[in-house]
This record gives sequence, C-alpha cells and structure tokens, in this order.
Amino acid sequence: MRRVIAAAMARSKREIPHYYLAHTVDMSRALDWLAHENAQRPVTKRLLYSVLLLRAVALAVREVPEVNGFWIDGAFKQSEAIHVGVAVSLRQGGLVNPAIHDVDKIGLDELMERMLDLVNRARTGRLRSSEVADGTITVTNLGEQGVEAVYGVIYPPQVALVGCGKIVARPWAVGGMLGIRPTIQISLAADHRVSDGHRGGRFLTALDRLLQEPEKL
Amino acid sequence: MTAMSEQELKEVVLRALSGIAPEVDVGSLDPGKDLRDQIDLDSVDFLNFVIGLHKELGVEIPDADVPKFATVNGCVAYLLKRIQ
Repeated sequence: MRRVIAAAMARSKREIPHYYLAHTVDMSRALDWLAHENAQRPVTKRLLYSVLLLRAVALAVREVPEVNGFWIDGAFKQSEAIHVGVAVSLRQGGLVNPAIHDVDKIGLDELMERMLDLVNRARTGRLRSSEVADGTITVTNLGEQGVEAVYGVIYPPQVALVGCGKIVARPWAVGGMLGIRPTIQISLAADHRVSDGHRGGRFLTALDRLLQEPEKL
Repeated sequence: MTAMSEQELKEVVLRALSGIAPEVDVGSLDPGKDLRDQIDLDSVDFLNFVIGLHKELGVEIPDADVPKFATVNGCVAYLLKRIQ
C-alpha cells in the first residue's frame, strides 16, 4: 500500500502546481446546532461534525466548480457529480480515499450513514475497488490527530483537496467584542492549471458561510 | 433484556470493539485505561462502537453519556446499571 501511495503522491507533486489557501472558521454555531440535534437523537441517528464539513464542501463546490473534477490528457474535465473522497487512515498504516457519491444531493442523515459505513468498511478491508476511484474532490480531516492545519497533496487526477484541522478555542472578535470561540482552520490545496487564488478564496469563504447556517445543510 | 453478569457484559464490550478493530487483540487491553490511548479509534470508530453496543443490548445511550464509554470498565459499569 505504501508503494501505491508513494506513486500517487510523487506524481501529484511532480505534475500538479499546487497552491494553498487557509481560512479560520468560527464553528460555534455549527457545534451548538449539532449538540442540540444530537441531544434529541437516538445513538443510531447521531451526527458527527465531520458530516457538516463534507456537506458544506459539496455545497461550496456548486458555487466554485473549478475545484471539482479531473485533469486528464492536458485539460480540465469538470465533474457534474460531486463525489467527495474521504481520506481514511488505516490502523495498520496507510491511507485510502473512498468516495461518498452525490454529497450535494443527500441530506445529513443519509450522509452520516454512508460515512459510518464507508469508514468501517475501509478499516476492515471491505471496500469495493470502484469506491476508491470515484472521488471528484477529497476532504482530509486530521483534527483528531491533533494537528491545527493541514496542507494536503492533491490526489491525482483530482484538482483539489480540502484539509481540516482540530477544533481550537481561539480569541475571536465579533462586533467589536472579544470572546472565545471554537474554530477550525480549513485549507484548500488546488491545481493552479485549473483555478487560481481568487476562485479558491471564493470556495473557502463559501464554505465558511455555509457552516454559519448549519440548519440549512 | 435478561440481566447479564459483569463478565458477560465485558465480553459484549470486547466483541463490539473487535467488530470495529479486528486487528486488535482486545484481550490484551487494560480495562481501566482510555480506549483511545490503546487503540487508534477516531470519532467514527467510537460512534460505530457505541452503536454496536446499543444494537447488541437494546440500551439507549444519550449523547451526554458517551464520555462514560472511554474505558472498558466504564462501559461495563454504565451498561450494568442500565440493563438491571
């Protein structure tokens, strides 16, 4: 597995001119909404905050479609479908990147069910090979590993990767008042042959806006 | 649900953990130590673990009680109270 990862990542760094952007997001509304939701749900219907991130990424992709698709034969092929690859680390070492299909078209409950199933199957070696090749954009969340920021390597032939760090309590000014808010740093690694910082910035600010209205995700 | 002994509940807990992390020798876990320090469990694994216990035992586990599942002993103590 390490050899496969090495080949893909070496190809990515050799062929893709990455650019990186980062944006810190106030997660207090999203986490408050989630805590309120989960307090009313049975354990089988509970949501993790990572599904909010996946869903917000898919909806932000609709607004900035240049980050969704593939670089093939010297040209960008935008994908109409939004299949979000989820980077899943394996306990034995290594990484797989299976995709959840049509994340922009499904609700949080279905997304949660699919994510639990996908991660469980990835870690018990029961993924279908088609699931590993279908992602049109990837999200990697290393917050639980304790890192504050992720600057990822794009998984070719995709053209963008979204990285999420851990939730950190930071001083945060709102309306001239300083408070403490739970925040995460979200980064975008994108292919400069396809998009530029202007569009990448639009993507990250759209993601922030979507996470401020979790009830609409 | 018929009453279960502490030992039977421990076996249920370890079986649920095996379902999540089949590569781990669950018999070697220290029941008093935090599971996340002994096995590389993330929030998805942990939720799958708690759902597995809920399905096996039929016990509803409120979100606020999930921190009590941090150790094998914590799981057993919580479940023992809930099923008796």
